Order: sequence, then C-alpha cells, then structure tokens
Amino acid sequence: MSLTRQLEAYLGRIWEQPVQVDNMSRIPGGASRETYRFDARMGGLTRHLILRRDPVGSLIDTDRRLEFLAFRSFHGTGLPVPEAVALEEEGAELERPFFIMGRIDGGKAQSPFSEPPYGVHAAGIGQQFFSHLGSIARADPFALPIAEFAPAPALDSCWSRELDYWEGVINEDEEHPQPIVRAAIRRLRRAPPPPAQKLSVIHGDYRTGNFLHDGAGKIIALLDWEMAHIGDPLEDLGWAIEPLWSYGETDRVSGMLPREEAIAIWESASGLTLDPQAFAWWELFASVKGAAIWISAAKEYRAGGLMDPVLGFSGWYTARRQDEVIARKLCALEGLS
Amino acid sequence: MTPTVPELLLGNFLCLTSPPPPESMGEFLQGRVAITGMIAMLSAQEAEHGIDARVWENAAIRDLLRQGAARHGAAFLEAARAVESDLNLATLDRVNADLRRALIDLHIRAEISGDQGLDHAILRFYRQSADRRRLDLPASPAS
Repeated sequence: MSLTRQLEAYLGRIWEQPVQVDNMSRIPGGASRETYRFDARMGGLTRHLILRRDPVGSLIDTDRRLEFLAFRSFHGTGLPVPEAVALEEEGAELERPFFIMGRIDGGKAQSPFSEPPYGVHAAGIGQQFFSHLGSIARADPFALPIAEFAPAPALDSCWSRELDYWEGVINEDEEHPQPIVRAAIRRLRRAPPPPAQKLSVIHGDYRTGNFLHDGAGKIIALLDWEMAHIGDPLEDLGWAIEPLWSYGETDRVSGMLPREEAIAIWESASGLTLDPQAFAWWELFASVKGAAIWISAAKEYRAGGLMDPVLGFSGWYTARRQDEVIARKLCALEGLS
Repeated sequence: MTPTVPELLLGNFLCLTSPPPPESMGEFLQGRVAITGMIAMLSAQEAEHGIDARVWENAAIRDLLRQGAARHGAAFLEAARAVESDLNLATLDRVNADLRRALIDLHIRAEISGDQGLDHAILRFYRQSADRRRLDLPASPAS
C-alpha cells in the first residue's frame, strides 16, 4: 500500500470520517526524519499538514514524543511554531513511528552551505532569530507540555549529561580515530562550566537551515525540534553561533549579525546575562556535538548501504569542516597563533 | 577517513539508479541529485589532494611520536615505525588509524604531565592537518 493510502487509512480512523490525501510530496532536509507535505481533505475542509516519519536509518537518534511535545509547548505562544496534530509512537498504519504537524507555507529554509542568503534582511532576520531563541530560554519549562516527558537535570549537571551523551555517541559510532574531537572532550572535562543560571527548553538544533523565512525579512516557522530537551540555555546559543553555520563569514554569526549584537539580543529576550567563561565552554561543546553527529552519519551511511547521500556528505565533508572549527578553537583557547 | 571516496561514488551510483517512490519525486529527488553532484565534485578534490594530505599527516604524526618518546615512553617510538606498503588511500588510512591512536595516547600523556611544549605542538598539528584535509565546496546560490 502506498504511503498516501496508509495515511488516508490512519487519518480516517482517528478523525472518524473518510479522508482523502492529496499532493503528498517528500521534502528535503530534516535528515533525522522522513518529512512529507500533504493536504488532507474531509467533509469539505482541507488541512495543510506535514508528516514526520522515523527513517530506517537516521542522522541522529531522537525521540519523536519529545519533538511533538516541543511543538505543542511553543505553538500559540507568540513564537512561529507549527501546531502539533497527532503522534503515533508505534507506527500504526504507517508502520514506523511518526507525527503530524501543521504546515506553514510560503517560506524557505537555507542550507548552511549556500551563499549568505539573507541579503538586506540579514540584520532583521538575525534580530528575530536571536530574540526567538531568547524567548525559548526565558520560558519556564515546567509550565510547558514538554516537561511531561523530558527529564530535568540538576543545574550543575546540565553540562555533564550532554557531554556524556555525545561522547557516548562518538564512542559507539567512531570508525576512524578522531584525535581532534577527543582533545576537545578532554578539555571540556578538565574545566567544566558553572551551574546553569536556570533550566530552559533547549531546541537542540537551533541554527540556519532549521527555520523558514518569507524572503522579505520575516521568520515564519521554527522547525526541527527533534533534539529538544531541558537544559542550560547557553547550550542552544552556543549551537546557534557555531561557526559551521556562518557561511564561512567571520564577522557575522549565522550570516546575520555581529556576534556581540546577537548575544545582546538574546540577553534582552531571555532576561539572562551571558557569563563569557561559561559560554566559552558551551561553544566548544557545540562543536563536539557537531562532530558526534557527523561521526554518527558516517556510520549510518555505511549501515544503510550507502543509499543516503545526505549521510555520506555529512559524515565526510561536514565532519572535516567541523574538525577545522574545533582545531581552531583549541588553538585559540591556548593563545596559539 | 570515513566514508571513503570509493564508497561515496558507489553510493552516488546506487542512489541515482534506484527508482524513488512516487512521493519522493520532485523537490526531494532534486535535492538528492544536487548532493550527489556535490559529492562527485568533492571526490575530484580528494583524488587530487587526498594522498598528499595523508602522506603529510602520517609523517607529521611520526615526528610527534618520536619527539614525545624520550619523555613519555619508548612505545611511541615503536608506534612511529608504522609504515605504508603503498600509497593507496586505503593503505594510507589504515596506517593513519594506527598513528592517530598512538597520537591520542601521547596527547593524553602530555596533558597529564604538564608537557605544554608537546601539547601545543600537537594542537598546532591538529590545525594543520584539518587544513590540509579541507575540501572546498563552492557556495551554491541561495534559493
């Protein structure tokens, strides 16, 4: 049975009326889930929706319930986050776990490997990008649906929980010795950051490429919450500022704003003050996390019979870019020219 | 390194010759074709520079291991003796894996013992080796 027919069967069952699915089309991106856009018609009504289904192999292992609850946590709060519609952790008619969410049309996402894409809108998009991130950091996670399922670490263990997890991924998936990221991990363990100022919802993959903008300077959707969790809000800021997402630019983070401006916007929106020493830790951690994801991609590429070029590209080209970033950070932290 | 160029090019072939399901035509297929094109282009760079980068890296690691052996143990001198039987990428990578494992051990020793000179030499090597392995992807136009 085709995916379209499977989806019609599923939606017809849960909505208790015949449903016709049209315009089903897989869309690129979201390498940890298969992502499809489709229209569901029933009783004269059309809903524009997105299906996110677990793949056979994945760039990262993530929990779709957390992603679903993250959408539910921020939809309708003033942030441009789509509505969470349905979650099936056992797969039901679609055979693999999935969830369905509302679709926001008319936007585009940019690859981090394209030319700086925002043109005259760069500063305006940057203002929204870092302000939205600050708003996520400001929110009380325990008043949000995600707290039903996401474990809450102690303030002084946010860093170790994340580092343990991602080092574990590297230990499990590394197929060629990686001395650069290993040196970074040891450095992070030698000099841990202070406890988090507060616990926040962490988007987990907040960066260029994971939001839609309308081409006229407005961010219209914050997407890809598959790595959402509760932790230190500096984690997301470090990931957002990671040089890998900066289009090769050195004077603007994420191809949008000078670093200090971006941080000031985030501070204003979050109500938090950035501790430079703590943030230096989270910036290096962001690069370690990136390396772990790319190492994992290389392993999944082989495990999946070399069929997914996104995994191959990530495990090869992106992994090398990440090595460059980490090596430069390690030298800079030691004051080496 | 992983994945290797032969794997990537085989993967490209498999990807492009496997018919996608109807819902994966259009935008998704276009994206996949674009990535296979990028991989092919970067593979050409690897074919041109990959052997040089590995030969340089393996020699540089041997130098560091020899440099560290006097203070941190003769085992590193032994590890530095790993040699390539030929200059195939696969052979170079096999030797590189052994050398990198020894280098990780040496770096840990340098850090623990406060051997800052060696620590910094290794950090500089990391930066150089990452630069030499760099693949340059021309920026694609923003959509």
